[in-house]
Amino acid sequence: MNLLQVSGLTKSYKKGFIPRRTLVLRGLDFSVPAGKVTGFLGANGAGKTTTMRCVLGLDYADSGEVLFFGQPLAVETKKRIGFLPERPYFYEHLTGIEFLEFYANLSASWNKSVLRDKIGQLLKRVDLDFAKDRLLRNYSKGMLQKIGLAQALIHDPEIVILDEPMSGLDPDGRLALAEIIQETAKRGTAVFFSSHLMHDTERLCERLVVIKGGTCLYEGTTEALLDRSGVDFEIIYLVGGQKQSRRISSQDDVQSSLREILSAGATVLEVRRHRLSLEEIFVRMALRSGGVA
Amino acid sequence: MRPIWVLAVNTYKEVIRDRILYALLLFAILLIGLSLALGQLSFAEQARISANFGLSAIHLSAVVLAIFVGSNLVSKEIEKKTILTILVRPISRLQFILGKALGLGLLILTMILGLAVVLTLIFLGLGLSVNVRLGLVLLGLLAEAMVLLGFTLVFSMFTKPLLVVCFSVGLFLIGHWQSSLSFFAQKSQGGILVPVSWLVSTFLPNLERLNWKSLVIYDVPLDGYAKMLSLTYAFSWFAVCVVLATLLFKRKDVG
Repeated sequence: MNLLQVSGLTKSYKKGFIPRRTLVLRGLDFSVPAGKVTGFLGANGAGKTTTMRCVLGLDYADSGEVLFFGQPLAVETKKRIGFLPERPYFYEHLTGIEFLEFYANLSASWNKSVLRDKIGQLLKRVDLDFAKDRLLRNYSKGMLQKIGLAQALIHDPEIVILDEPMSGLDPDGRLALAEIIQETAKRGTAVFFSSHLMHDTERLCERLVVIKGGTCLYEGTTEALLDRSGVDFEIIYLVGGQKQSRRISSQDDVQSSLREILSAGATVLEVRRHRLSLEEIFVRMALRSGGVA
Repeated sequence: MRPIWVLAVNTYKEVIRDRILYALLLFAILLIGLSLALGQLSFAEQARISANFGLSAIHLSAVVLAIFVGSNLVSKEIEKKTILTILVRPISRLQFILGKALGLGLLILTMILGLAVVLTLIFLGLGLSVNVRLGLVLLGLLAEAMVLLGFTLVFSMFTKPLLVVCFSVGLFLIGHWQSSLSFFAQKSQGGILVPVSWLVSTFLPNLERLNWKSLVIYDVPLDGYAKMLSLTYAFSWFAVCVVLATLLFKRKDVG
């Protein structure tokens, strides 16, 4: 079942002193299924943030249809959605606990003790229990990202939309956030997150939506994309006592390369099969479709 | 109603934890204190001058708070992008505007009441009577501040905070000088002043209708019905502004 279905999404902005219309999204189609982590890939300026804002009704699309749980976005539907924007700025005058109370109370009516327990658990889950009474203006960037994720999860949404949650974080911070995202998905919440950090995306996402210039280049499982995009081969051989290697991108060329190496008197030590990384595939896709994704 | 209240409380907390509010409070208390000194300059009118000056200090503080904080009420949320996490919650744009306005309205009320305590002490010290009339004057000041806040919200939907402040200050001045404008228009016997005066009195609020300081300063007779009508007048202007601000806000991309 698709929790989010986007069809023909188009958005343009007027920019400049003499306003000129710039088309950012050009009939974008994709979907986000239940209970999975879906990555939303694209280079800077590809339209990821614009897509998220249009999907969530923060910006108005020129045309197209956005359905959450099979229905257009409405006030009631929003109770089932969580969102963390890119580079989040939060109310600095609030402490960690006050901040989560504020967002929880905006989403639903709570019994005080239930809410207090819930906030306590969530703060432990994002490892911010120690800073619960600290004002947000004294939080580091990584801590803000974590508390931001906590506000997106406080009301137990069925789908969480995260815009570049890893950007600007150090490796430790990224690892911690990745663990929270994985744990969230394990609990049955669908996660849809945009990123340009391929390594994290490859590790976390079962599904991918790749966009370029406001249109969809690929939508499907990460495995299928990695398989479809083929493999590289590396022949390691010994010639004149020196170890050398040759990289071949097509399986058809392996035999002929081996014959060539052997006929030159070299000793073949090993033939390695490399699957392309998501980053390599992404760059190839971008080049194939002209420019960067 | 709950989301409006939650937003109002957050707005209240945000401003009350801001140092600027305390600077404004200190300034207002100093002005009220100065009213004592100024009153002593006059032999016969000490109480009257002190009352006038003290009430004007509260008036000015309420207006400054409504205009200067109100001008940033929504634009700061958009600029700092805090609005992104608010509007994805089950809350409509009307509720957002109402929550922000209610929060600032409560803060203006708190400040008026706080300064009123200081003024009451001065009144008691001067041997003036403190009665329901003072309460009514303060209610008029709150109503005026809410009308100005409503207009400030409308202005902030289509322009930058600095211009919002300029427009709102202009509205405050025109709002208090409408009767003077009408007087000059009548005397001018034609010309541009007549249509200008008509436009101003038709499309902008007459804030003098909420200026009831003379109840305390000159002890003029109290007309309860007229005061009730004036409060309804202020509430209507505020409601029109909120509707207008919401209509403009509903068309706005906030991302």
